[in-house]
Amino acid sequence: MSKIICSAAIRGAHKIMERAEAKYEEAMGKWGPDQEIGFPNTAYYLPVIYGMLGVPVKKLGDVKDVLDRCRSLLPDMVDEHVWLPYLAPALEAGMATFFAEEIIEAIRYLESPDFYTKTEDPSNGNLWLGAADDVILRKRGVEFVDGTAPGFAAVLGAPPTEEIAVQLAQELQEKNLYVFMSADHEGRSMSEMLVKAGVQVGWGTRLVSFGPEYTATVFAAGFATRAAMSFGGVKPGDFKSILFYNKDRIFAFAMPLGTVTDEWYANAAGAINWGFPTISDTPIPEVLPTGICTYEHVVSNVPHDQLVARAIEVRGLKVTVAKVPIPVSYGPAFEGERVRKDDLFLECGGGKTRAVEWATTKDMDEVEDGKIELFGPDVDDVGEGARLPLAIVAEFAGRKMQDDFEPILERQIHHFVNYAQGLMHIGQRDIAWIRMAKAGASKGLKLKHIGDILHAKFHQDFGAIFDKVQVKLYTEEDKVKEILEKATEVYHQRDARIEGLTDETIDTYYSCTLCQSFAPNHVCIISPERTGLCGAYNWMDCKASYEINPTGPNQPVEKGETIDAKLGQWKGCNEFLYKASRQALDHYNFYSIVHDPMTTCGCCECIAAILPLCNGVMTVDRDYTGMTPCGMKFTTLAGTIGGGMSVPGFVGHGKYNLTQRKWIVGDGGIKRLVWMPKRFKEEAAERLKKMAEEVGIPDLPDMIADETVGTTEEEILAFLEEKGHPALTMDPLLE
Amino acid sequence: MGFEIPKISYNGAIKEIPLGKESNRITVGGETCYPFHLFEGNMPLPPKIAMEVYDATPEEWPQAALAPFADVVHDPAAWAQKCVASYGAEMIALQLASTDPNAQNTTAEQAVEATKKVAAAIEVPLIVWGCGNVEKDTEVLKRIAEECAGENLILGPVEEDTHKALGAAAIAYQHTIAASTPIDINLAKQLNILLGNLGVPDERIIVDPTVGGLGYGLEYCYSVMERDRMAALTQEDERLQFPILCNLAKEVWKVKEAKLSDEEAPLLGDSTKRGVLLEAMTALLFLLAGGDILIMRHPDAIQLVKGFINDLMGS
Ligand code: SF4
Ligand code: SF4
Ligand SMILES: [Zn+2]
Ligand SMILES: [Zn+2]
Repeated sequence: MSKIICSAAIRGAHKIMERAEAKYEEAMGKWGPDQEIGFPNTAYYLPVIYGMLGVPVKKLGDVKDVLDRCRSLLPDMVDEHVWLPYLAPALEAGMATFFAEEIIEAIRYLESPDFYTKTEDPSNGNLWLGAADDVILRKRGVEFVDGTAPGFAAVLGAPPTEEIAVQLAQELQEKNLYVFMSADHEGRSMSEMLVKAGVQVGWGTRLVSFGPEYTATVFAAGFATRAAMSFGGVKPGDFKSILFYNKDRIFAFAMPLGTVTDEWYANAAGAINWGFPTISDTPIPEVLPTGICTYEHVVSNVPHDQLVARAIEVRGLKVTVAKVPIPVSYGPAFEGERVRKDDLFLECGGGKTRAVEWATTKDMDEVEDGKIELFGPDVDDVGEGARLPLAIVAEFAGRKMQDDFEPILERQIHHFVNYAQGLMHIGQRDIAWIRMAKAGASKGLKLKHIGDILHAKFHQDFGAIFDKVQVKLYTEEDKVKEILEKATEVYHQRDARIEGLTDETIDTYYSCTLCQSFAPNHVCIISPERTGLCGAYNWMDCKASYEINPTGPNQPVEKGETIDAKLGQWKGCNEFLYKASRQALDHYNFYSIVHDPMTTCGCCECIAAILPLCNGVMTVDRDYTGMTPCGMKFTTLAGTIGGGMSVPGFVGHGKYNLTQRKWIVGDGGIKRLVWMPKRFKEEAAERLKKMAEEVGIPDLPDMIADETVGTTEEEILAFLEEKGHPALTMDPLLE
Repeated sequence: MGFEIPKISYNGAIKEIPLGKESNRITVGGETCYPFHLFEGNMPLPPKIAMEVYDATPEEWPQAALAPFADVVHDPAAWAQKCVASYGAEMIALQLASTDPNAQNTTAEQAVEATKKVAAAIEVPLIVWGCGNVEKDTEVLKRIAEECAGENLILGPVEEDTHKALGAAAIAYQHTIAASTPIDINLAKQLNILLGNLGVPDERIIVDPTVGGLGYGLEYCYSVMERDRMAALTQEDERLQFPILCNLAKEVWKVKEAKLSDEEAPLLGDSTKRGVLLEAMTALLFLLAGGDILIMRHPDAIQLVKGFINDLMGS
């Protein structure tokens, strides 16, 4: 911690401490040790003291012990010549500050019972509310738990003008934060400025005028402390749990406005204990390295119009967007809606114009959350039936954001746009195609709304992996072309990266147990080269899904010691499988169809089966409904092996997996493939060709039979012999 | 060599959840084996039956279901008292059917009043069940939680959409939650995780997997409950180790077979017996699937099921 801040905080704490001691002596002289003392209507006594120390201060006499504890906590003043590199002394000074302030305020309740209103809102011309009682705590605290209020801003002092005060208050309210106000700057306080400007103040408007002095800041700390005890079930005295509860759950921060005095520093230091950082408008030294707080501790000299945004970022507050702000209905119900030629108002992409979608990562300071820009003409600038080029660029920033998440986020654009009534979306990347219906345009739908949709939905569904997103839309030919070029380069890099991922180089695979709802023993373990058999989950998806939902169906599986490299069996995977299958299975092989293959559930894209006569393997995909050479149609195969069983001779797999290097490589790999449906073969042609070349048999695709050759083993065997299919001369598949 | 029954080795246990006021605690859960597999583990706390009470005079109930309560159906508090006094109800379930916006759409105030009256009339634990409309339940159950602070009511249904508001209210005002999901083990687990993340203590969570009556989807619910228990007891799936509540009576008695009178369906046998047996069979099956709390209606059906429980528990 900065030495200046540290020494100022300790100096401040000493001053506050002396005040508390003087007050205590004075009160003792007046009332004696048996005088009852405390905040009104609460079961938590002086809450910070009660929470941190477990000491219930009931009588004036109880204060003595607490003051002694304060003294022992309080570090000596910092010597000018000594370098004090640690945060700890300042934190302890901050803690002592809060104890002392509670004592000062408690004695105030004794001395001037009417100093505070003890109500929810200002009354009888008195603006100062004082400590929240337990009724208020419960009622308002619920909002902290259910997320309707994520936290609070503890504002000390006052901004330079009333306009700024009103604007700050509004901004904080818009983020659903409570504003706890205390202290003055040059005789003015934020509470008073708001009232003067005609703004309603009180718990009802979430603008809480705690008190005129800096010591009233402790009411904020007290509120947070009680929240942990009453909503987190933390026991008084368990200070660690209370502080962690606040750090993890209450999105609060201190916002000193004006000259930061020693006493303010002391309060800011106190707040850091709770994980609440300080964001100030004045140029005080910054404390950026993180430790106690989630991110930075003290960020200073922030212009007023950026204070709230910066505070939210520093405290790590997640933005929530409850509703997608567009003039048409929105929801999955509209996903399947088509926009036909007759209904068409505007069209982008689909081969008629360029259209491209790109999700990319930027630095934190390059992204302004929720900023939507459109460069070029929008709906109003074109007539019915128009065509426009379109580039959609979603720029993400966040402390957890990774390049690997980009394709996953990008793929969502398809669903998200489709959910809007009057918008149709097909394709992705540079083959995106968007149609807007006349009905949508007449309701006021604009292309720019795509940005609003994406901002809202990305936050709703993927908020865990990024902090901020802004969207840029381009409808000018040259700009779109420029984006397209950039994006294309990125697509290539991504593809190369996925291609380059091999099972050997990755130690952590991911499980998927989503299908256990129906196939109770079924466990998919997904490695880079063994994507999920449903085709919906590859390794990267699972990794992201785990980040988004750490307790969900995709869990990391350390593959551990290799048991069989050829067939693909690892100790860690087996252990996971044993537990996840409820002890039904204790091992399986990733790369084999013959020896203990992976389990198969009913939603596999394809099922492979061995053909003994041909010494090879066939595969059939879900869309092919005819007979196959193994004597069963897809549906019969799925019904036979699809219940989460490991059935030697059969295995479910994804379409893409067929052309991954590891597809049944333990049994010989792609060279074993002797039959597949014609349509599937055409669909996979390009990748199949690549694989064939890789294994050194470039004309392999032509040797693979399909239904036009035959649907019995006998029929295709002749064909295989004629073509010289490699499977015929390989080692026997069945020993 | 004698025959040895193959045994399942369990590694999990269902959590014990205390219900009701401190003065009159009933605890459910605690199983360390599949339902009634007493040769493999323990069921320290036998399943409990809660009797239904409605917040407004029921319409369209078959005569068989109405008859035992004809004198009290207009007054939920008296109804609840009768259930306890005459039929030995172990718990009461107040169904707030009239709050449904598509029914009488009674207000949150009225629901609070009804709940308070019933709570005051009985000592046994009280389940309070909303109408199933997300917005309305949030409003009504939140108010009830607030106004009946400290009663330790069992509030349901608490769904994914309402879990934040109702979970927070349950924490603040100390109630138990029936976490309700539509017949899906993954969703059930997810909701329990979400409630945990919110800060709802484990001892305040009961699982409502959603059930259907005999002949109306029961098998499907049975499988889900069975899976739920397998995961909890043999897969160490900590987020599924909660007691299960089955709100079954309203499902059983709304179907055609339960409603047809003797004259309308002479081939289906005595209508009273028919309804009672449909309810008892449904209840028994859910007991076998892992139910810990059954919400039931007809005293004769309850009598039968209690007999089953005693037999199966060997007591
Ligand atoms: S088939 Fe797909 S969804 Fe099902 S468990 Fe495997 S990866 Fe998950
Ligand atoms: S076969 Fe298909 S429908 Fe049947 S349980 Fe499996 S996945 Fe579900
Ligand atoms: Zn599946
Ligand atoms: Zn499935």
